Amino acid sequence: MSDRVMIFSQRNLKELMRDPLSYIFCIGFPVVMLIVMTAVNESIPPQAGMTVFQIQNLSGGIAVFGLSFVMLFTCMTVSKDRSGAFLRRLYASPLKGAEYVSGYTLPVMVIAAVQTVITAAASVVIGIFQDYTFDFVGLICGMLMLIPIAVMFIGLGLLFGTIFNEKAAPGLCSIIISLAAFLGGEWMDIEAMGGTIKKICDILPFYNGVKAMRFCVAGEFSEAVTPLLITAVYAAAVFVLAAVCFSKKMKSDIR
Amino acid sequence: MEYAIEIKNLSKSFSSKKAVDDISCKIEKGQLFSMLGVNGAGKTTTIRLITGLSKPTGGDVLVYGKSVNSQMEEIKPLLNLSPQENAAAGALTVWENLVFMARLYGFSKADAEKRARKLVEDFSMESELNTKAKTLSGGWQRRLSIAMALVTDPKILFLDEPTLGLDVLARRELWTVIRSLKGKVTIVLTTHYMEEAEALSDRIAVMTKGKIRAEGTLDELLSATGAPNLEEAFIKIAEEDKNNV
Repeated sequence: MSDRVMIFSQRNLKELMRDPLSYIFCIGFPVVMLIVMTAVNESIPPQAGMTVFQIQNLSGGIAVFGLSFVMLFTCMTVSKDRSGAFLRRLYASPLKGAEYVSGYTLPVMVIAAVQTVITAAASVVIGIFQDYTFDFVGLICGMLMLIPIAVMFIGLGLLFGTIFNEKAAPGLCSIIISLAAFLGGEWMDIEAMGGTIKKICDILPFYNGVKAMRFCVAGEFSEAVTPLLITAVYAAAVFVLAAVCFSKKMKSDIR
Repeated sequence: MEYAIEIKNLSKSFSSKKAVDDISCKIEKGQLFSMLGVNGAGKTTTIRLITGLSKPTGGDVLVYGKSVNSQMEEIKPLLNLSPQENAAAGALTVWENLVFMARLYGFSKADAEKRARKLVEDFSMESELNTKAKTLSGGWQRRLSIAMALVTDPKILFLDEPTLGLDVLARRELWTVIRSLKGKVTIVLTTHYMEEAEALSDRIAVMTKGKIRAEGTLDELLSATGAPNLEEAFIKIAEEDKNNV
């Protein structure tokens, strides 16, 4: 990796870390949601058979939901840079096309990793109070299973930040965040619902990301392979599309 | 004579509109060369073409003998620019912006910090060192923008409307900064302020409608037009162009 990528990444990480919203949405929000939804779970009688808010299932859902906010911050960083003269100034520098994409991706990968570790740690702590003990191997594997979905969300952030302006791009991210929440099985039991909604969720990456982590946490590693592959395909497709779009946009900016 | 920049029949069209129309000129090393013209005259487009931010539709520019059409990657390290708009990283401090830019151009951390320290001193920015770029006043932002361009040790510095929107005091302070650079680096400056071109330039090119209508030292332009000052000379040149159309 070139020095220029690292230098540009450091700049982007500093920009993100100095925005208080990064802490609220990327770090604080998932933890708060874990606590709130655990409290909700306390109010659900066991006879209801509702397991989606039990900590072993909730951890995967909240981890994927949290990663959707990483998309928002990727998108905001790129669209903000594009709207000002900063990026145009960099176009005159020796920084090359692929280095921009890497430079935007690396710092948000770091944030995604920190966020996932914090979510998992908070889940373990909550699990202690809920008389549930996480299997650490399963939990670590589950966290690793989230790499493709993190890459996909970052790719979507890059894509929206590249194509749309500073005002429109965050709005589109909000739509994806809502979709990820509804179709990710975070707040409802998709398996119990079945039907068309389950078919849609099975095709899209969000629920597959959640399932991959849930299976690992449950120690059913072989079950996690298919969801993992589905999210990996989405991640590769979205990220390549984002990189191509960024490169094309850069070329059209200097036409 | 070896020139820093040789512009050869340079053109740039956007659909049917010619933003730069077959211009040619040579800029000597160490000179402060001003492009003077009203808004839309083609000054910024010319800078964009020389700095690789836009591609010519005709002609070429040689920067230290290298063509912008075929050797842009070799040219990039030789130049830097301060654009019209504020172009610093908003959440980074003055110091971080300077070090970031120097490192991006290949300086080691130690060298980048050494160069940044020198520029902070030269531009009297000590009081704003730890201030985030987005909270600086307009004058300080421009000063930072020019320092960010100079920290990479360019052979050619492009200043696009450097004092646009600044108050009189900030403008005069920036003129002092720009004057201090004369002779150390080749400077290409665009402006539509007559007094700015008059106060700072070694040579001036008057641009209207994408063409260079006249070029020379201030005295040469005044004697060619018989005008008492640059503003009158500019009006005469622009009106002559209108009459020719």
